[in-house]
Amino acid sequence: MLAGLVCLGRKGAAMKLWRRTDKAATSSPSELVPPEGVPIYLEVAGLGVRLAAQITDIGITLIAAIAVLVLILSLGVGDPSTLLAIGSLLFFVIRVPYYVIAELAWNGQTLGKRLMKIKVVSHDGRSLNTHALVLRNFMKEAEIFLPATLLLTLDASSPVASGVALAWILGGLFVPLFNRHRQRLGDIMAGTHVIHLPVPVLLKDLAQVPVKAAAATKSYTFLTHQLDHYGAFELQALEKLLRSQEKGGVLVRSKNNQATIESVVEKIRQKIGYANKVPEAERLKFLGAFYNAQREHLEKRQLFGERRKDKHYAAEDSPS
Amino acid sequence: MAESDLIRSARFRKEREADWRRLETLVTQAERVGLQRMDFAAARDLAALYRNATTSLAIAREISLDKALLDYLEALTARAYLSVYAPQERLGGLVRKFFVSGAPIAIRRSWLFILIGFLCMGLGVLAGYQLFLENPAWYHVFMPPELSGGRGPTSTTEELRQVIYDQDPSTSGLGAFATFLFSHNTRIAIFVFGLGVFLCAPAVLLTFYNGLSLGAFYALHVERGLGSDLGGWLSIHGVTELSAICIACGGGVQLGAAILFPGKRSRRAALRYAGRDAVKLALVAAFMLVVAALVEGFGRQLIQDKATRYVIGWGLGLCWLAWFALGGRVRQ
Repeated sequence: MLAGLVCLGRKGAAMKLWRRTDKAATSSPSELVPPEGVPIYLEVAGLGVRLAAQITDIGITLIAAIAVLVLILSLGVGDPSTLLAIGSLLFFVIRVPYYVIAELAWNGQTLGKRLMKIKVVSHDGRSLNTHALVLRNFMKEAEIFLPATLLLTLDASSPVASGVALAWILGGLFVPLFNRHRQRLGDIMAGTHVIHLPVPVLLKDLAQVPVKAAAATKSYTFLTHQLDHYGAFELQALEKLLRSQEKGGVLVRSKNNQATIESVVEKIRQKIGYANKVPEAERLKFLGAFYNAQREHLEKRQLFGERRKDKHYAAEDSPS
Repeated sequence: MAESDLIRSARFRKEREADWRRLETLVTQAERVGLQRMDFAAARDLAALYRNATTSLAIAREISLDKALLDYLEALTARAYLSVYAPQERLGGLVRKFFVSGAPIAIRRSWLFILIGFLCMGLGVLAGYQLFLENPAWYHVFMPPELSGGRGPTSTTEELRQVIYDQDPSTSGLGAFATFLFSHNTRIAIFVFGLGVFLCAPAVLLTFYNGLSLGAFYALHVERGLGSDLGGWLSIHGVTELSAICIACGGGVQLGAAILFPGKRSRRAALRYAGRDAVKLALVAAFMLVVAALVEGFGRQLIQDKATRYVIGWGLGLCWLAWFALGGRVRQ
């Protein structure tokens, strides 16, 4: 981001290339349309975090199964020779309802998912229904646990069956890689996908403070033609820079930072043709005032139906 | 500082910020204790404030360029949406609904697929029976050795009779129940359902094969004059267990058919639609298998009388049939 700001003044192609790679790097958001009709964009959970949640859940159910098994043994009901069969039965009997009931009770989250802050949501923007949850967790049995048990119980004497089981697991694991929402087979059938829970954090409005400060002292004023150079992207990059100036209420005063600020101020001055020199102590105030003015200007343009995505807006509008 | 000094989007935010903060606390509360346990005023405010927040989000997307505000509203609205549209059914009610109406109706709706399942099994039995009578060597082709338990064309009639009327207490009780549940037939049932999705063929083949081995096994006993004894031995749990396999096969075939013949829907949509009933079939099959394992684990060794075995087995079968045929019908 900072690099983008520093090269604000640099011409065209390099900048575009840089931004495109940036866009590709961010994970794909999924669009949900709730009944209210305002689309919501949520970040799709990756395979790694889902695997971590899955391992946590398997651990929890396994421990529960072992605990019950020990209890049964201590009561002297079971026969040691059938220990394995009883154990796997318990694991199965605890595991299957656990997923369904947990996801029903906690609205799409098992304990592992809660820990990883991910969540199952319905694809169509409506609430999760029981059918979907049962289906997706049943298919999990068929996709993962069944072939895994097979793989564990089969030995080297039947390489073909082991190979089939392995191919089955791998096939199941590859399905999510080939669709945008990272859906398992069960997710596809149930019409669900897994998302990261967003965390709402409200930062203070930058446009609120500097106005007061600027009104009290000597204020920087910008003319309309000076504000016609940048678009929303640059504005938000500047916003990020200004926010990074304060960490926990304390101003950041590193040499590196000073140099960045100076180069940004100089670039902006050059680009918009702001003649007056900005003294070192006033630089942040200048940037704040510029942010304010630029935002007001861009928002006004936006209200009139002219969205300026970035500084190349003019080139995009007029076909050349 | 006067209000009008602020730029428009900052004013927009200032006017609504208190509501958003309140929504934020309500959402955290709803996520922690659940919507059901919130008091009336809080739940009402949550829904109302959520709708306000969606409006704010829609407006902010149009008028504001403040990234912090947009991110916050996106996240807040999403969180509020997820807690407002949480599933609100009660678990007990769900179980009751499944047993009273959901399952039998689904079974009746997919009678054709279940019929296909029973046909596969029945034809398999017939073919296995005839092939064995023609040449007993077929027995070894159809019957997996671990399943026959040493019984084959070479065993004496006395040995066969002993297995049928076995009174070994170690093969009864909880351990046996678990073993039986994870025995051959359950695995077959899971396979025929899960594999049905691959264009039906594996489900049909597996069910047919299962029928083949059953037919050969039966033919072996009929040849030694133990047909009716084996019938009793198999009936007590087999009526339930084999029906479960056929129903599971029906579910699998239903999924496969949705992929083969999606009709006017897309394949994905057809699969999702077929899944609604298929999952209920699988659940019914699982429930039947548990009952079958219970009967097999506790009942088969305790009840040695042939007639009683028949009565229990087919009586249980009649109960299933009555459930499927009569459950969930609304009285006119």
